[in-house]
Amino acid sequence: MKFIDCPPIGRRALSEFVYGGLVKHEPDHENVSESVWAEHVFYRHSHPQIQKEWWYHRPTGMWFFFERDTLTDVIHHVSVATKGYANEA
Amino acid sequence: MPLRLLKYAWKSPEEELRFFPQEKPLEKEYDVVIIGGGGHGMACAYYLAKEHGITNVAVLEQGYIGGGNTGRNTTIVRSNYLTSEGVKFYDESLKLFDDLSEDFDLNIFYSTRGHYTMAHTDSAMRTMRWRAEVNKHHGIDSEVVDVETIQKDIPYMDVECNGQHPVMGALYHAPGSVARHDAVAWGYARGAQMRGVEIHQKTQVTDIKTASGKVVGVETNRGFIKAKKVISMVAGSSPRITNMLDIKTPIEVFPLQSCVTEPVKPFMNTIVVSGSLHVYVSQSSRGELVMGASVDPAELHSTRSTLDFVEGLTDQMMDLFPFTSRLKIMRQWAGMSDITPDFAPIMGKTQIDGFYLDSGWGTWGFKATPISGKTMAYTVATDTTHELIKPFSLDRFERFNLVGEKGAASVGH
Amino acid sequence: MKLRLEKQPLEWIDRSQSLTFKIEGESIPAFKGDVISSALWAKGLKVMGRSFKYHRRRGLLSLANHDINALFQSVDYPNIRGDVVSAEDGLSLTAVNTFGNLTRDAGSLVESIAKFLPVGFYYRAFYSPKFLFPKWESLIRHMAGLGKVDTNWTEERKHKRYHYCDVAVIGAGPAGMSAAIEAAKNGVDVCLIDENPFIGGSLDYQYVNESSLESVRDNLNQTIEEMPNITVISSAYVAGYYGDKWLAVNTQSGLIKLSALSVVVATGVFEQPAVFRNNDLPGVMNASAAQRLIARYGVAPCGEAVILTSNPEGYRAALDLRKAGIQVLAVLDTGRPSHDWYEQVSDLGIPVYKEIQSIEAHGKKQLHAVTFQVNGLSHTLDCDGLLMSVGWAPAGAPLYQAGGKFSYDEKVQQLLPKTLPQGVFACGRINGVFDIYDQFKDGKQTGLNAAEYALNQTLSPCDVLKSPTPHSHSYPIWDHPKGKAFVDFDEDVQLKDLKGAIAQGFDNIELMKRFSTIGMGPSQGKHSNMNGIRILAKLTGKSIDQTGSTTARPMFHPTPVSHLGGMRFRPERQTALHHLHVGSQAKFMEAGNWLRPEYYQSDLNRQACIEAEVLAVRESAGLIDVSTLGKMEVFGPDAANLMDRLYTMTMSNMKVGASRYAVMVDDTGVIIDDGVAVRYSENHFYVTTTTSSSDSAYRLMQKKIVEWGLDATVLNRTGQLAAMNLAGPNSRKILAQLTDLDLSNEAFPYLAMRQTQVLGFDATLIRVGFVGELGYEIHLNASDAVPVWQALMAEGAEFGIQPFGVEAQRLLRLEKGHIIVGQDTDGLMNPFEAGMPWSVHLKKPFFIGKPSLAKLKSLQKRKLVGFELLVEPSNGDSDESPLESNLIIESGDIAGRVTSVAWSPNLDKTIGLADVTMEHVELDKLIHIKLTSGALIEAKVVPLPFYDPDGKRQRPEELLEGDVA
Ligand SMILES: Cc1cc2nc3c(=O)[nH]c(=O)nc-3n(C[C@H](O)[C@H](O)[C@H](O)COP(=O)(O)OP(=O)(O)OC[C@H]3O[C@@H](n4cnc5c(N)ncnc54)[C@H](O)[C@@H]3O)c2cc1C
Repeated sequence: MKFIDCPPIGRRALSEFVYGGLVKHEPDHENVSESVWAEHVFYRHSHPQIQKEWWYHRPTGMWFFFERDTLTDVIHHVSVATKGYANEA
Repeated sequence: MPLRLLKYAWKSPEEELRFFPQEKPLEKEYDVVIIGGGGHGMACAYYLAKEHGITNVAVLEQGYIGGGNTGRNTTIVRSNYLTSEGVKFYDESLKLFDDLSEDFDLNIFYSTRGHYTMAHTDSAMRTMRWRAEVNKHHGIDSEVVDVETIQKDIPYMDVECNGQHPVMGALYHAPGSVARHDAVAWGYARGAQMRGVEIHQKTQVTDIKTASGKVVGVETNRGFIKAKKVISMVAGSSPRITNMLDIKTPIEVFPLQSCVTEPVKPFMNTIVVSGSLHVYVSQSSRGELVMGASVDPAELHSTRSTLDFVEGLTDQMMDLFPFTSRLKIMRQWAGMSDITPDFAPIMGKTQIDGFYLDSGWGTWGFKATPISGKTMAYTVATDTTHELIKPFSLDRFERFNLVGEKGAASVGH
Repeated sequence: MKLRLEKQPLEWIDRSQSLTFKIEGESIPAFKGDVISSALWAKGLKVMGRSFKYHRRRGLLSLANHDINALFQSVDYPNIRGDVVSAEDGLSLTAVNTFGNLTRDAGSLVESIAKFLPVGFYYRAFYSPKFLFPKWESLIRHMAGLGKVDTNWTEERKHKRYHYCDVAVIGAGPAGMSAAIEAAKNGVDVCLIDENPFIGGSLDYQYVNESSLESVRDNLNQTIEEMPNITVISSAYVAGYYGDKWLAVNTQSGLIKLSALSVVVATGVFEQPAVFRNNDLPGVMNASAAQRLIARYGVAPCGEAVILTSNPEGYRAALDLRKAGIQVLAVLDTGRPSHDWYEQVSDLGIPVYKEIQSIEAHGKKQLHAVTFQVNGLSHTLDCDGLLMSVGWAPAGAPLYQAGGKFSYDEKVQQLLPKTLPQGVFACGRINGVFDIYDQFKDGKQTGLNAAEYALNQTLSPCDVLKSPTPHSHSYPIWDHPKGKAFVDFDEDVQLKDLKGAIAQGFDNIELMKRFSTIGMGPSQGKHSNMNGIRILAKLTGKSIDQTGSTTARPMFHPTPVSHLGGMRFRPERQTALHHLHVGSQAKFMEAGNWLRPEYYQSDLNRQACIEAEVLAVRESAGLIDVSTLGKMEVFGPDAANLMDRLYTMTMSNMKVGASRYAVMVDDTGVIIDDGVAVRYSENHFYVTTTTSSSDSAYRLMQKKIVEWGLDATVLNRTGQLAAMNLAGPNSRKILAQLTDLDLSNEAFPYLAMRQTQVLGFDATLIRVGFVGELGYEIHLNASDAVPVWQALMAEGAEFGIQPFGVEAQRLLRLEKGHIIVGQDTDGLMNPFEAGMPWSVHLKKPFFIGKPSLAKLKSLQKRKLVGFELLVEPSNGDSDESPLESNLIIESGDIAGRVTSVAWSPNLDKTIGLADVTMEHVELDKLIHIKLTSGALIEAKVVPLPFYDPDGKRQRPEELLEGDVA
């Protein structure tokens, strides 16, 4: 079992969280080319890396960002998911 | 006693034919380099040599032969898939499996046990029927059976499942089998090597070099090797290899875990899978119950074990087989599964000339070992994609032409 | 009792409490505190088991659960380990895996053909001719396995417990005890875990007769007992180290899941047997086993002992034996000793043979003599005990699992931890520390470190205390031309097998393991892996570090399924109306975690019951509980925007007081959910989801609010609200009795939504058309659902209202051509394919999956169509009726599949939906359904809906413009 220090809710067991996939920027729907869209939906580099992910904390209903190393499973950084993330440049 | 064993009585170990050669230096160049000495890599080398006469081949394995998912899997072999593409492909594989022991002169313990996929909901029942119908249409022995039939064949299973989610029926697939995973890799390896293929263990590919869009060779921990054709057959390491060439894929890697009980006298002769309870089980010839579940919930390139996995699995096991509560779990382990969005593999040529990919084997690729070796060998030797693997190309996603295997999945193997 | 000794100072048995148990019918006396093995040995029964492959007689080896020589079966359990399971009154046991019994085992015939069975022999035979393999396989399966399972055994489940501490110390020997005390002195909470019933470890069997240690021992025990912040968990082992200092501690009463801030591994070392001819004869055992036998159970290992040793510990054993009154004929040393215990042994006049060159044991059923060579001369000594003290291997499982790395230390001749993860510490013999006082010291300094780590303090420096001299033989292996030199006792793997494996190219530690099966048995290599590594290293000319080792995965010892699985906990959800359904004879079905009425039983058969419910809805009125739907409230300034982005249809242009079909797709355009959305006010919506996706849809909504930065909130009200659908031509009349709301068409048209009171309770009414009749979905607080349901049933009585279940609803909606997500759709189906192009509003600037749908629109390859059978199957013959999932076959190829099918009593024909390729979607086209029997029957593609195509019944007096559900 892993334990995570989550800023507003303290040390929690990973079993309380649900993995929500990679944090990605969605391309603008209006002008997106088919290939860029296909890449957004399907294709990526998924080799071991530190990546930013969505994690949902069931008891509180909060979404978090974890920066997690997919090789070691070490979670390097945890923050409450940024509101409006998709709108950021 | 089989006569074959008599000859061993007078032989000292030193006289034994080596399965695998001693370590030796790498050549500077090969016609084909295969990355990954698992079942797939060995099978591909074998068929390249045997069927296409291409023997100037090196299989590079970072660890030891079969040490990846090949040596970690629960060895269920079946062809009762959902899509026509899947059924045809895996059926060819089963046919090859059936003759492997004799081809290899090595017993791979290919043991046909019959394979039940239990359905606990009516939607699962519909899926089972769907699979059965597709299978039958392609001449595969597969049928939906009712609870009475199940009970007769597996009298010790609690079809009531402790009163919740009772078994409503099952998909029965008589050809469902298990095999000795290591022996499959060893047999292919020995066969390939006898025909001139070189196998290099502890040899890791660290980069793939290209020049004007064409593969020119691989960088390894033992130096550079020239090759115009490079095949990646590395299952859970696929993203690391494709990353070397900046090829993006839909593959994500998730750990898949498994465990065995202490050996007990064999009593379970069939393979039992329950999608709803997320367990599957068979009993090995050593007497261990070999069990697994679905992949771990989050991406991870690691073979660490978790307690959650054994806790969940044993809990569900007891619903089906209450008496197993008195057995003990002896060992658990994990492999890295290369999962695709449509639960079908990614095979064939790529956008880089000379680079071929055999990946996306997820939780289901052991059974494909012979056929993927054969079709990839064909594809590489002739530079034409083999008919059977056309549906599995990397660009199908871009074309939104996915394989519909997902409908049958959850835990399938 | 033949071999029982006088009372020993620290013994675990209680001689005042006698008991008896049985082995294969023979009565065995024992004392409370005895394990099965100690009692057997005390009686002189030295053959405690038969080996796995050759069925050789086996006796005590480790008496520490490092081997399975003594493995038994009771009526209740398989694979009972004699070395650690208590002897209990009345217990009746047999040996496992014999063909006969312990004394006469027909299985031992295998040994006579052993030379035909080289390592991996089963790979070499039995496969040709192919058709014979199943026969051979069944023979192999007959020989395989250990204990027997009784499939009638009832289920056992044990409670699990959670426990938290600052410092977990694994192993309560001299180092572990010292570590626990030191950590506790620094103010942290400590758990001290040991697999034995008593703490003390080697201190209590290797140092029993060292009088100088008596006060130290008392002090340690007393301190541990007195310190309130040390919790001792005994008879418990750490089955696995998992992730962030999360330990699975298996106790006899169940699993403890222990979370610690730092972990001290003081698990010590496993004594390793020497490998020589007949080293498996009963009577040949590890010296530490003999010491345990004496110290814990007061049983003599033998009458006349020879000790084979490479370290001081062998001499300590000689002294202990002498002290217990056992004759020690000789000590055979592989080297030239110089230490205190050697002096003491010499002083006692025990002959010591130095630099012995080889050794071999003799005996048929048990050990009778030992032959060894010194200076080229052969000596033979008659004896009934040969104690092996040639070396140790680290009990490193928790360290390996924590990610620690080991490296071979040539000085100690042992694998020692090289790097450890933060907060994980090792001390004592696992750390190469052998001097007993150094072990205390090492424990103390490590305990301090562990406390400091837990307290987030800088770690104090530690002294390196590892032994300057080796305690293990670098190669305690003596070959013999005639073999029978066992390396792995579980698996009957001999030296020659490993040689054979290596010669054939299995010269990598993992390959050697897999081919020879060394270390694969139930003791998982505890007594064999180290020798295996030494052999491989030697034969391949590599160092131990180059050779590497196999992975020490959980479980440390095999751990009961009943403990790991724990108590059974499966949530089962009932709606607020559940007991009313029970009262109405509902036949329940599972829908996800929920129970829903499938239909209501009467004197009629199932089909007739369902048809009666269907007819009631079509002809008068029916009432169904739809509380299991997911129910989300969405509000805030951006609520409309959120709804637009979540669903394929535009929601922002919906009028307040209206409802609309809501379908959700994923990024790839695949349908994942559907429901009905209503608008309460400008910034307030309410939307349902399917039963199974309520959790995932809620999660997704929350995520998207954050991701898109919207000022909106979603509330999951699934459990708080109940919902029911009152449907049928008389539904308006019935509902009118319970509400003041104007239900007229003008005031409350089709697809409108009204917030009002029903029977005085706040409720939301939606005029829906899922089943195709005039109907009202009523959503209200779960606590108000019962009276409203009852009132509707009461008011409806005069109209013959019927409660109806899931099955009737399935048929009713099929008649209307409405899909069920998950049944009519599959894992790849998009709304175009589902025949709902109207539900995709590509003009909207943004919604989940839009670019995918824009592309998929032109790529459509299949479509859901309605069909009816041309010829009805003869009545009641299910073989001739199509079933859901039967295929559509055209020109010999699969062209689709039936997703829904039923005989419609209202239309008097069999109708269905089929997912077919685009060549077959035209109206009136004939399609061919392949029945389960294989026969093809014809069906015709017909327009949808089947029933009431103009929708006059669901909106009787009107024809609305706008969306159609
Ligand atoms: C627990 C578990 C249970 C499973 N159960 C089943 C089942 O019941 N039925 C079924 O059909 N399938 C099952 N599978 C899936 C199946 O095991 C795999 O799909 C299949 O074995 C893949 O074979 P492979 O030869 O492609 O890969 P692998 O056997 O993984 O071989 C790939 C090899 O590539 C090597 N490698 C990686 N990177 C490099 C590099 N850079 N350089 C050199 N070498 C490299 C690796 O060391 C490895 O040996 C299961 C998988 C797991 C993990």
